[in-house]
Amino acid sequence: MVNIELKNVTKTFRKFTALEDISIEIRDKEYFIILGPTGAGKTTLLKLIAGLHKPDSGNIFFDGKDVTNKTAGERNIGFMFENYALFPHMNIVENVSYSGRVHARDPQTTATLVNQVLMMTLLTGRNDAYPEELSGGMKQRVALCRSLLNLEQTKLLILDEPLKALDAGLRMSLRRELRLMAKSKELELTIIHVTNDEQEAMMVADRIAVIDQGRIVQVGTPHEIYYHPKNLFVAYFMSEINHFIGICTKSEKPTWDIFSKSKQSDKLYSEIQEDSVPLPINIGFDATFAGYLNKSLYDEIEHGEKVLLVVRANHMKIRLGNRVYDKKNAILGKILRRKFMGVFYRFEVLIKIKQQEKVIIVTIPATYEIHKTFFENSEVTIYFPKELGIIFKHPGEDVITEVLKLE
Amino acid sequence: MPTIELVNVTKTFNEGKVLAVDNISVRIEHGEYVFLIGPTGCGKTTTLRMIAGLEEPTKGKVLIDGKDVKGIPPEDRDMGFIFQHFEIFDHLTVWENVTFGLEMRGYDDDHIVKEAEKALKTVDLLQYADEYPSIFGNPGLQKLGIARAIATGAKILIMDEPLGSLDPKVSKVFRHELRNLVKDLGLTAIHVTHNQEESMAIADKIIIMRGGKLLQMGSPYELYENPNNIFVANFLGETNFLQGFVLKLFENEDMKINIRLGGPELNIYNFGKKFSLNDNIIIAFRYEDVYLFPEDYNFKSSQYDWSKMQLFVAILEVSRFVGATKRFYLLLDNGDKFVSVKPGNFEESFTSGQKLVIGIHQDDIHVFKAPKDILYELSLS
Repeated sequence: MVNIELKNVTKTFRKFTALEDISIEIRDKEYFIILGPTGAGKTTLLKLIAGLHKPDSGNIFFDGKDVTNKTAGERNIGFMFENYALFPHMNIVENVSYSGRVHARDPQTTATLVNQVLMMTLLTGRNDAYPEELSGGMKQRVALCRSLLNLEQTKLLILDEPLKALDAGLRMSLRRELRLMAKSKELELTIIHVTNDEQEAMMVADRIAVIDQGRIVQVGTPHEIYYHPKNLFVAYFMSEINHFIGICTKSEKPTWDIFSKSKQSDKLYSEIQEDSVPLPINIGFDATFAGYLNKSLYDEIEHGEKVLLVVRANHMKIRLGNRVYDKKNAILGKILRRKFMGVFYRFEVLIKIKQQEKVIIVTIPATYEIHKTFFENSEVTIYFPKELGIIFKHPGEDVITEVLKLE
Repeated sequence: MPTIELVNVTKTFNEGKVLAVDNISVRIEHGEYVFLIGPTGCGKTTTLRMIAGLEEPTKGKVLIDGKDVKGIPPEDRDMGFIFQHFEIFDHLTVWENVTFGLEMRGYDDDHIVKEAEKALKTVDLLQYADEYPSIFGNPGLQKLGIARAIATGAKILIMDEPLGSLDPKVSKVFRHELRNLVKDLGLTAIHVTHNQEESMAIADKIIIMRGGKLLQMGSPYELYENPNNIFVANFLGETNFLQGFVLKLFENEDMKINIRLGGPELNIYNFGKKFSLNDNIIIAFRYEDVYLFPEDYNFKSSQYDWSKMQLFVAILEVSRFVGATKRFYLLLDNGDKFVSVKPGNFEESFTSGQKLVIGIHQDDIHVFKAPKDILYELSLS
């Protein structure tokens, strides 16, 4: 059993507050991701859990026991940090099986496990190479193998950007292997893994904690974080987005029936409708868009108040000319740029709202044949299902500019 | 109208002991945004340095606008340089950083002021003209680097990992800005990176190198849709590779071959490539080109022409939601694995362990002769 709890933990370095009032719980056998941009406090958080830093205030519990004042050694955790710390005088197999000696495991079991992890990380065949002969990516894989085997009692593994130095292809396949390994019957690990890559986070995590500027912004499953982001920062961090500023038209009678269900019968949409309410917003003299607002926020936002509507680029749809049957949540525009990106086509579409021009990003899977009918300068309609429009309280222009890195 | 040509260019170091670039010929058109990519040590940076005039070819010629530029130093090649680590002068203001290069070229005051203003405006930094670069984060510093490069009026931009120092999230936003800027100014750009995704997102043309050789050159679309070898198929995008052998040959039918994988048999029309009976082959297909149907799917109910779709059965191991996409991990009888990627809103109610019918359009299947060392071909170094 490993259950980790942080209660109101704060950590400062001189005058800089690295982490502020962090409370999270990591459950037994959970694959837990800490996700955030460079400098958000991710590594500091890991080091607090590992016992390599002491918090200024707050407490850390392992299985209900307060370990705040326990050293790293006493907490008995496997970890792998960004600088791999391999033994230079040992070859790959000796480095990886070192823990077998420490834990006095029987040699046969160690050999089997070592073989298994080396195969998973495509290191087989280089068994007798020494660290200095290896590339950065290979060293990282050896360190990962070693940390996977160095887990006797706690079965808690802490990984700081474990896939960072790897080439794209290997990084992709290792994500999956890492998760399979953690969930395998032999290991059943609890993993806390830090990354700044949202794809990696969604790929491996049971739950994700999004951290920004030393604070936890949201904790949830990949699905929750992606479809129900708590604020603009979380929405932006998970994928490319579009944003519109509009006026909430709550008390007015909507010009069209926003309460009816969309044509799409997707499970996802009905799920969204459960904990959110639809809300029409006026984004210009003649344009009304509708999106969904979290129920708990409904009373906080008043009629006529400024709100922020966010639609992910891959939730935007696009049709040539004015051919959209359902003219709701739709606006005419012109394609400025069209670019093949591999799995997706990415379009930049120019629209006009309140006489102001705005560029909307739309991505569609390249396997959809329809993209072949759109070119640069094509007149198009872009639209989105209202269930995929996410409405937030307006956070202020400066926050929007800062989050979207407009400067 | 600058065009850049490399004609049979070879570069060796250490008196011929190290072959860095091996007889490559490339033509870059005016206004083209070209990427040189490949794993570490593939010769991409050396190639860039020869175009820039920082190295001379051992053999072959570099032509700019049809003129051999042998012996012409970098500063006289009408090029702007952008580096990974910016190389900005900390002790000069933003304005001074941009005007420095113009002053060195001996332009008059009016010209310097006009061009510096224009360049800073292009990258939205004009309001910071009198500040020192220390106020900027990495994106701001790189914008300044770009302003400095374009202010000289250079028509060619030489970039070595220009997005390499940016936070990954920022770099994903900035790369579109970079492409738009280069296209709007009508510049010819050559950009070196090891980041495949970045090259797909920005390039008009990609040149893939490995071990000093040019492996393939073409638009992102061409390389992605028709990779001419296993390395390229693996390097760009996410690709499944399955091993099999040629079971039957149909000489009269469009070079049709029948191959056996671990379990399923597929009919494949190959495009002029020669295979013999029992040849070991590798088939390659993209994750997103794998269609999934429940076992009881009624194929007759839809209008689709199924004759060109290769259908076979596999077991769904597990699926994963990754935001914009969902990934399905599939298993063949013999234990071989492959992956299907669908859009994130793909509707399904598949469960782990379920048998599925797999569909792949024959045009999306690429067949290669099995190389002697498949692990080398698939390794990305």
